[in-house]
Amino acid sequence: MADSHELTLDELRERIRAAGVPIPEKRLAMVRKLLSEALAPVRALDSRTIRAVEPAVKFVPKAEE
Amino acid sequence: MSDEIAYATIRELGTRYRKRELSPVEVTSALLARIEKLDPMLHAFVTVTADRALEDARMAEAALRRGDENPLLGIPVAHKDIYLTRGIRTTGGSALFADWVPDEESTVVRKWREAGTVLLGKLITHEFAFGIQFPGHKFPAARNPWNLDHVPGGSSSGSGAALAAGLVAGATGSDTGGSIRGPASFCGIAGIKPTYGRASRAGVMTLSWTLDHTGPMARTVEDCAYLLQAMAGHDPADPASSTVPVGDYLAPLRRGVGGVRIGVPRNYFFDGVEPEVQSAFEDALGTLRKLGAEVRDVRIPSLQAAHSFLLILLAEAYAYHERDLRERPQLYGEVLRERLMAGSLITAAEYTQAQRIRSKICAETAEVLRDVDLLATPTTPRSALPFTMAHDPEVGFVKSNMAPFNLTGLPTLALPCGFSAAGLPLSLQLSGRPFEEGTVLRAGHAYEKATAWHTRRPPV
Repeated sequence: MADSHELTLDELRERIRAAGVPIPEKRLAMVRKLLSEALAPVRALDSRTIRAVEPAVKFVPKAEE
Repeated sequence: MSDEIAYATIRELGTRYRKRELSPVEVTSALLARIEKLDPMLHAFVTVTADRALEDARMAEAALRRGDENPLLGIPVAHKDIYLTRGIRTTGGSALFADWVPDEESTVVRKWREAGTVLLGKLITHEFAFGIQFPGHKFPAARNPWNLDHVPGGSSSGSGAALAAGLVAGATGSDTGGSIRGPASFCGIAGIKPTYGRASRAGVMTLSWTLDHTGPMARTVEDCAYLLQAMAGHDPADPASSTVPVGDYLAPLRRGVGGVRIGVPRNYFFDGVEPEVQSAFEDALGTLRKLGAEVRDVRIPSLQAAHSFLLILLAEAYAYHERDLRERPQLYGEVLRERLMAGSLITAAEYTQAQRIRSKICAETAEVLRDVDLLATPTTPRSALPFTMAHDPEVGFVKSNMAPFNLTGLPTLALPCGFSAAGLPLSLQLSGRPFEEGTVLRAGHAYEKATAWHTRRPPV
């Protein structure tokens, strides 16, 4: 994935502040790497190109006896 | 105890029990002795239930004498330690539940108990089926019987190690991103992640609701079929459980793979695959062709975005663990704690987009499976890592060949297809249409009958 999609350390710190979770400084690099990998496909996505296939409730009519 | 008994298949044990050549009590006693000898080195077990095992074995003997024909009667098994077992400690591989003794049991544990299996104990899992057991963790990490310096894969690490070392004949695993198939691959055994909703997750600790699957692990595909037959089926206690009737997984095994159309998705699954893995995989395709399968290349374009799997996993795992992470963070293993907390940093919009990508991958895969019956890929891009690499917290999540089938929920089997130059197992992955476990197992069994990889034994 392109570097432009990577999560910056500043962005990560902002997210940590907003979430209010205690992630120690020594683990920031690991968390940044993990989250960058997880976010890469979403950040590369133009959401307008996906058909509306979001998961939704499906009701299957009961088969006739 | 002879290796012949330690590595006997479920069918062989059943046949010998019924011919009175062996008894469940003899086999159980011998395996308990083998566990006592080998497990201090392998760390596959968290809890050994010797008294319970011998009691189960005596009950199985009585049932055999009465003529009970259940194929799992007297078969020695153990459960991954995220499956709740009534009256037996269930740790989840975590200090949080180090001494927890549930007063309920999971549906799968009950089904195997009712089928007459012998419970040898509980098998170590990566912490909460996610974190790696780093040195200094409450429970030591299981080791790979093929090379003790290498990981057995995870998170069903104890299940993989115990089967490869001939300590049990069958085991439960769970698979959120490859936790059945990864250990199967690294330990040279078989394991199937059935269709999402096929086997109950009730009474099994959650990692990620929309990705979690339960399934069996064994040394052969046929043994997986026996074990899956006894665990599959609707369970109202699992909201994702399907009402689709369970097929016969054993009978189709005899039909071979002739005429089965196998697609090979050449994009994504071969990125970063080591040459010896690729070579073993191509050889496996050659064998399947010789057996009558029709093999062709296929393409699933959106697989390149399959890493969105990780985003779904992190968000859902955090949702499950949020309260304990806030109230008792010190009881989580270091590194796992921060990995779980990373799930709190994902926005609702990002999680939704990941699910939309997932829907696209599901739709494209379903389209491809109109033209082929199965998909074949290498299970893992390489053989088992050494602990020294696996224990580096800075190592990210390597691209997974298994996670796409958690996203799509399709039935997927891993089975041995060769060995690396270093003597570590390599594995073939076969995936089929929803609820067509029979076809997946049939192809795997045909391949296994034509090869001898599954008959090799590790040097323990």
